[in-house]
Amino acid sequence: MTGWDHLLAMMSVGLWGAFLGRPLIYALPVTFPAMMVAGAIIGMLGVRVGSVEVGIALSVLVLGSCIALSLRAPVWAACVVVGTFAVFHGYAHGRELPSAADPIGYSVGFVLATGLLHVCGIGTGMVNDLRGGILVTRMLGAVVAILGVWFFYEAFPS
Amino acid sequence: MLPPTLLSAAVGLALVYAAPRQWARAASLLAVTAFTVAMTPLPQAWLEGSFIGCWVSVAATAAMVHFPRGMGCGTGLVLSLNAGLWCGAVVALTGSRMDLVMALPAVLVVLPGAWMLERRAAIVVKVVSSWVIAVAVLAAALQLLPVTPGYLPDHIE
Repeated sequence: MTGWDHLLAMMSVGLWGAFLGRPLIYALPVTFPAMMVAGAIIGMLGVRVGSVEVGIALSVLVLGSCIALSLRAPVWAACVVVGTFAVFHGYAHGRELPSAADPIGYSVGFVLATGLLHVCGIGTGMVNDLRGGILVTRMLGAVVAILGVWFFYEAFPS
Repeated sequence: MLPPTLLSAAVGLALVYAAPRQWARAASLLAVTAFTVAMTPLPQAWLEGSFIGCWVSVAATAAMVHFPRGMGCGTGLVLSLNAGLWCGAVVALTGSRMDLVMALPAVLVVLPGAWMLERRAAIVVKVVSSWVIAVAVLAAALQLLPVTPGYLPDHIE
């Protein structure tokens, strides 16, 4: 896994938000960085959290499934799901934070990259307004979920 | 350079919800305060505190965007005054006044922000402010850490 798990999860957050509409279209991309920072701080403090890879793989699987099944979760539930997974993603970034290189630059980079991936997801979700767009979005979600299964399988040590 | 830039941008984002006639007043107050403090000799012992104060102000100012009622006239001026103090302090202790000249124009983010708001795309302002808050909280946390864990094997390894 070379970052595709992160990338797909971030895009799925935006895509699911676009699918669910207001207020989640902005609540999810706002919740994610907040909780990701909490995870990053846990990682930076060196707190041991087991199976981060499993958590990240699960995020791809669950978020993809939510889109594929067109799950209309209540606002609080969607925020809890996204926020929980954001902690895992943030933790992974926090653990990788460079000591010698510019750590603030790295932090800015990963927050902005995450945000832009959400925006890409929201942009992709705009196809919902087109005829047959919802089907396209659900199919994209299904592809993400299938990849999530693969990431989940890979995350377990052999 | 980054902390004063982000703080100026946070003030700009917060001002999006203020009346346009307040923008010039708030921006002027920010600039005047920042340059005044930047020209004041400050003890080097305040360095760490000024950075923390700057990051906390970035997060608090950007968070104003999420208040549903927007900002009153007084709040905008208080935020600008506070931002000017911290921007000036950081520059006085670490940078040159040229840094302020380059950082303060970030307050002009109020213009595209207001344009978005007019087009009912307030979502963009809220999302961007959440990024600014995230960066500020991370940077403040980094400052309190003795060392980052980057020398350890990462989750891919």
